[in-house]
Amino acid sequence: MLHRTEAIILKTMPFSEADLIVSALTLEYGLVKTFAKSSRKTKSRFGSSLEPLTYVRTSFWGKEDAALPRLTQADIIRPFQKIRDRMACFFRVMEIVELTLGFLIEREVQRDVFHLLLSILMKIEDEGPANDRDVLNTLLYKIRFLDAVGYGPRLEGCARCGGSGYNFYIAQGSILCGACAKGMDSPVRLSPGMIKSYGTLRSWEVSKSARIRLSRTLLAELSDMLDAHIRYTIAKPLKTKAFQPS
Amino acid sequence: MTLGIIENLINELMRLPGIGRKTAQRLTFFILTMPDEEARSVARAIDEVKEKARFCSQCFNITDAEVCDICRDERRDRKRICVVEEPSNILVIERAKFYRGLYHVLLGAISPIDGITPEKLKIDELVQRVQANGVEEVILATNPNTKGEVTAQYIRERLNAFPVQVTRIAYGLPMGSDIEFADEVTLGKALEGRRRM
Ligand SMILES: [Zn+2]
Ligand SMILES: [Zn+2]
Repeated sequence: MLHRTEAIILKTMPFSEADLIVSALTLEYGLVKTFAKSSRKTKSRFGSSLEPLTYVRTSFWGKEDAALPRLTQADIIRPFQKIRDRMACFFRVMEIVELTLGFLIEREVQRDVFHLLLSILMKIEDEGPANDRDVLNTLLYKIRFLDAVGYGPRLEGCARCGGSGYNFYIAQGSILCGACAKGMDSPVRLSPGMIKSYGTLRSWEVSKSARIRLSRTLLAELSDMLDAHIRYTIAKPLKTKAFQPS
Repeated sequence: MTLGIIENLINELMRLPGIGRKTAQRLTFFILTMPDEEARSVARAIDEVKEKARFCSQCFNITDAEVCDICRDERRDRKRICVVEEPSNILVIERAKFYRGLYHVLLGAISPIDGITPEKLKIDELVQRVQANGVEEVILATNPNTKGEVTAQYIRERLNAFPVQVTRIAYGLPMGSDIEFADEVTLGKALEGRRRM
């Protein structure tokens, strides 16, 4: 049967002589892998519509449980070419794409994540080119995405007793107070400013985030905490990390 | 006995890209009816390639010697280097019979999501060639897709330090096509790269 849905292209993999396997986050079906015949040929009707980050209207053909349905159409709604044209920005955005691919399960509908990714891509393209905004917007995505899939770190006081505390325990994914953390080792000490900023980034409407201003120090502190949390949660470093300036 | 060895050849042929069971069967039966000497010569050619093929020590093209035919050819323009992703790209450009300079094969393209960092490609080797040999122009002929683009941007930045002209092959609409079928990115790039007539 034919499926139609909006999608954001996340990743493509060459297959056979001129074909591609396309991983896309779709609005209606969640993460879907499809097969795009002859899409690498110069005169392919897919043109540039399958480049990573492209926001497209797609049709694909296959039974409900087909492992690799066939992509029959992809019409560009917004190409996000400006993001791909800026190398440093593109590298940052690919990090959130890898994060997304790492947590989503195929064919599990995730409308919130779809809208989140789309609005963040729009923000990055519209607010750019500005490195600090790229950092803030990708950070915002990481925080909101982890919340959406249920893996966000818990920083509102001690996760066990609700008491106050600033020590973050990576293995617990949360802050614990002195009493609850007895016998546990090596917490990361978080600053009150960072915890407050984290709360802001979690709760503000994404559409209004252009008004959020954070210092470089705070951005760096937030990024470090979140990256450590992600590394621990998926039990490996992201490949795209090698591309981020330290 | 026969079915075993035939099935075996079919399975071996299916390892090749783009060859499914049907094609492999067709090829197998064709090979069966080929004159002995011809079929053996195919097998020998595969053997020889695996035994002797290596990367050219200068440009990373595939060759059977220390340095490839193109790098050895004295008539070629040594002031120009055309950078491509794969050795097979050289064959295509050579077929166009337009370019007379040298090449440099990167053996891939930068791809963050696949963990392909610049260090995994032959980019340092390119920079060394530019630095050492009085090269005047580096033509970036990586693929006109995101990986190829990012790779071209990265090399452009690496070569900023040297007095060399860096050019990128033009983006455009494929010859023989119709402008109505071009998507906005292709068309945008074609307009950006327009030239005076
Ligand atoms: Zn506690
Ligand atoms: Zn060579």
